[in-house]
Amino acid sequence: MGHRSGFSAQTLAVLAELAATPSRWRHGYGIARDTGLQSGTLYPVLIRLASRGLVEASWEDEQPSGRPRRHLYRLTPDGLATATAALAQARSADPVQPGPRARDRRRAAARAVQWSG
Amino acid sequence: MERLTRLTAALLRAAEPVLPSEHRAWAQALRTEAAEVPAGRDRLAWLAGGIRFTLRAAVLNRGLGYPLVFAAVVVGTAWTAWSGPPGDSAIVINRVDVIAISVILAGLPWAIRRAYGSVAHSRSARMIRTAGYAAILVLVLVKAAVERVADAPPNNLAGSAVAWTGEIMFLAVMACYAAAILAWTAGRSPVRLATVMTGGTIGVALGTLVYLLGPLGFPLRFTGWWPTHLYDAGIALGVLLALCAPVATGLAATRRACGSMPAASRVRQGAMAGLYTGLAAALVVAILSTITIALLPYDDGLRNWAVSHIGQWTPAVGQAAPVVGARLGYVAGNSAFAAGYLVVLLLSPLAGCGLGAVAGRAASQVDPSSSSR
Repeated sequence: MGHRSGFSAQTLAVLAELAATPSRWRHGYGIARDTGLQSGTLYPVLIRLASRGLVEASWEDEQPSGRPRRHLYRLTPDGLATATAALAQARSADPVQPGPRARDRRRAAARAVQWSG
Repeated sequence: MERLTRLTAALLRAAEPVLPSEHRAWAQALRTEAAEVPAGRDRLAWLAGGIRFTLRAAVLNRGLGYPLVFAAVVVGTAWTAWSGPPGDSAIVINRVDVIAISVILAGLPWAIRRAYGSVAHSRSARMIRTAGYAAILVLVLVKAAVERVADAPPNNLAGSAVAWTGEIMFLAVMACYAAAILAWTAGRSPVRLATVMTGGTIGVALGTLVYLLGPLGFPLRFTGWWPTHLYDAGIALGVLLALCAPVATGLAATRRACGSMPAASRVRQGAMAGLYTGLAAALVVAILSTITIALLPYDDGLRNWAVSHIGQWTPAVGQAAPVVGARLGYVAGNSAFAAGYLVVLLLSPLAGCGLGAVAGRAASQVDPSSSSR
């Protein structure tokens, strides 16, 4: 079930997480941990945002010691503007929607609203 | 847990090539980040999410949904048709049937794509293809169930040359059915999709009616004046509808094509509409009749009904073979020899095509716009 902003609660949660520190590159597991989303949900969201030009993705330039290179994400200027508008709209709307998996959506939407505020 | 996690990671890595190239970096990122997720349940869940993401992306972006479903259905059909008691000669025919039909159904889309293009961009086209394929597989499956009983000792009909000839003809007819369904729902189909839809819908209704009037291919026997006369009236109506349905679909298809096609093409639309009506009706009759025959040895109620309305039930030695009194010819034709299916499956589309073409020609001559072409 989508919000009036046109984004799902999960997408709003990702946008809110990235918009909290827009200039900082984030990695997938960090976003998943902070939003509570599963990898199978997070990555399709990131792909959709990237294909719409709202998120840019890049591999780490140098190979760090002790761990593999990370794939990093951050909002583009367009993405930041869209996220700000969408989160403002989400705050003004009722985030709770009936239907299946309502608890997950409520949780993600509540996070999105909390972080954007 | 660690072994399972390693296995899931290996699966994820192996599945990456099925993804579209633009998604592979994402799958790779997901896999490499697994190293940062705490070992144990969390890491396993992370990787399992990656498998889910990969499968979804492969199905949605590479059109793998239909092939995967087809493969699963074929495996299920093969598994069901493969089994049977040792020494049953029907098993050989059933196995050949399943293998041949799987190869035909898997290979035909590739051949048809070269001639008529990919499937038309329409939900109806996909629906017709799915329903057609499902109908063919169901027919193969129930035919296998019937032959498992009818060809078993002491009959051993599967070993005869007649049975094998019938099988080959049955497979050839099924290949023609599948090719027709694929060609008519392709992007460059010579027949309008609306024509196929109309013919198919009316054909299914007609096939169901014909089955209800004679579930085993013979007129039913009723006692009492009212049931007998009502049934006779139903038969007369059924015959009338069987003749009128291809004519009606042929007329409708020709009228729909009027003004936008040359006269010859309009007649062809009528013929194809009639053919498709006959084809759909034949498939429905063959499937429903065969299911009924397949259930006879196992369903007491159905068997008692068949005895009182059709003939006598005579179990063969050691087997409950569906032999119904004087109608042995029909039952043998439908349960033991594949050629029995061919009568309906061959004649019905041909008759429909002829009637549809006559209707199309008549409509073309009546339509004033055809004379200017």
